[in-house]
Amino acid sequence: MSQSDKDKHDDHGGHGHGHANQSRFIQHHYDDAQHQFDSGKLGIWLFLVQEVLFFSALFVAYILYRHHRPEIYSYAHHYLDVKMGAINTAVLIFSSLTAAWAVRCAQLGQRKGLILTLSITIVCAVAFLVIKYQEYSHKIHEGILFGEKFDPCVSSGGGPLVTKRNLCEGIKSSVVFDRGATYSVATQPTGCLDAAKIDHSPLQPGIQATCKVAEVKFTRDAKGNKTDGAARDIERCEEGYVGGHGAHGEAKGKGPKFPCWTFSANPNICPTGPAVLVHYGDEAVHAGVEIRPTCDAPGPVVNKEVDAATTLAMGKGGTTHEMPKTKHELQHEFSMGPPPPHTNMFFSIYFAMTGLHGIHVLVGILVFLWLLFRAVRGDFTPDYFGPIDYAALYWHIVDLIWIFLFPLLYLIH
Amino acid sequence: MSETKSNNDHHDDDHGISHTASVKVLLGTGGALMVLTVITVLATKIDLGGNINLALAMAIAAVKATLVVLFFMHLKYDKVFHSVLLVGGILAAALFVGFALMDSAQYQETIQWDTNRPLAAPIGPRPVVK
Repeated sequence: MSQSDKDKHDDHGGHGHGHANQSRFIQHHYDDAQHQFDSGKLGIWLFLVQEVLFFSALFVAYILYRHHRPEIYSYAHHYLDVKMGAINTAVLIFSSLTAAWAVRCAQLGQRKGLILTLSITIVCAVAFLVIKYQEYSHKIHEGILFGEKFDPCVSSGGGPLVTKRNLCEGIKSSVVFDRGATYSVATQPTGCLDAAKIDHSPLQPGIQATCKVAEVKFTRDAKGNKTDGAARDIERCEEGYVGGHGAHGEAKGKGPKFPCWTFSANPNICPTGPAVLVHYGDEAVHAGVEIRPTCDAPGPVVNKEVDAATTLAMGKGGTTHEMPKTKHELQHEFSMGPPPPHTNMFFSIYFAMTGLHGIHVLVGILVFLWLLFRAVRGDFTPDYFGPIDYAALYWHIVDLIWIFLFPLLYLIH
Repeated sequence: MSETKSNNDHHDDDHGISHTASVKVLLGTGGALMVLTVITVLATKIDLGGNINLALAMAIAAVKATLVVLFFMHLKYDKVFHSVLLVGGILAAALFVGFALMDSAQYQETIQWDTNRPLAAPIGPRPVVK
């Protein structure tokens, strides 16, 4: 490093010393180290401006879609884990700090510091991608994907959904008619009612519903295709699930293509006593649940935006949910229901934006690995640190884009 | 910004070629960014109305971006021309967004979101169930 120290002082005087005391990486077609550095810096800044414009196309898609379809964003962002996003933000900011520090180390000729800061930057970048991988794999598993692949197993509130293509394994959902049992969704999330838990106490007219339990089971056939088994009855319950219009088994190309979450109960299955009829979300009534006083005589229909748990509570205790709800409660209940139409667009935009950003992180890792190799080799001196500076600038732009992506995708109110 | 030419005299940390950020500035910027991240997450939990929440989140993001650009990217001490480039790029992106937004409502009547269904509510929130 003493070589470069001398260099540094000589730099002020002029550049008539030839190439002897300069970094060997100063190309002969530049006047001096300063000239080479400035040229490279102009180049990287032009590239960064191009990056801003590149990403702005995706921001346009985001803004336009959010402007026209705000309900999609307020529904779909519940699928994203704010904690994961916040951790990733912190990781990326920290890596930006170490990248900026690496530039300082290179400028001051601190080789050990440079190696350390570059290493930390790489570790953070890898950690970012590992967290991203976990988020992506969870979404792939749950069918929370882009375009036609959007076929989630659960609603954004976590409730199970019967979806058109039923790509989710196992029992997806059920319509439950509770007759006052100590049944709760929390203990039986799949809607599979334990026979022992059915309350056999006498019915109280007007309050309790006739016990009807049905579950819809989806399995794979030998070819790996999803098939939906018949609705199964438990205890003395009759079949309570009717596919409904467009739930599944619908001819391709006919009817509403997407989304298609339909629950429909057959009124004929409740011969005695008051019952609750649940009509859960057809495409006109997205998250609507119709509650009728009895099965035989439909009577006035009350439309409610309620989740599965509320439905059960109504079966048990009648109309107990008449309290005016707060904005948050309504929002939460909305998020429990099936997705509004075109929710898949949110995830098209989400995957395009985070995917392109992830590719940038990947490229950054490769660049920093190469710089780490060169730093270990001792290439960088106070008159030749341009590559470190340029890579750090690129890394800061990657960080900058994430700074905007995080609130726009994860922190929608 | 007189430091474009005379970098050498600007700061003790300068070593000829480019401005060197001090440890204090680096840690201060990094710390501020972390604090702002926490604030933006906490701000989401407070209900100020959707638009105000969005504006607040974007304002915090803009402050964070400015910190990154000025200190991590050395733009405060860098050539003015690099700032011109960046601001120019952002303005171009703003034009892009602005014109796209202005234009987007013009063709709503002709857009059919789902070919199998008549156009019920092309824009705005989903219909209220009665």
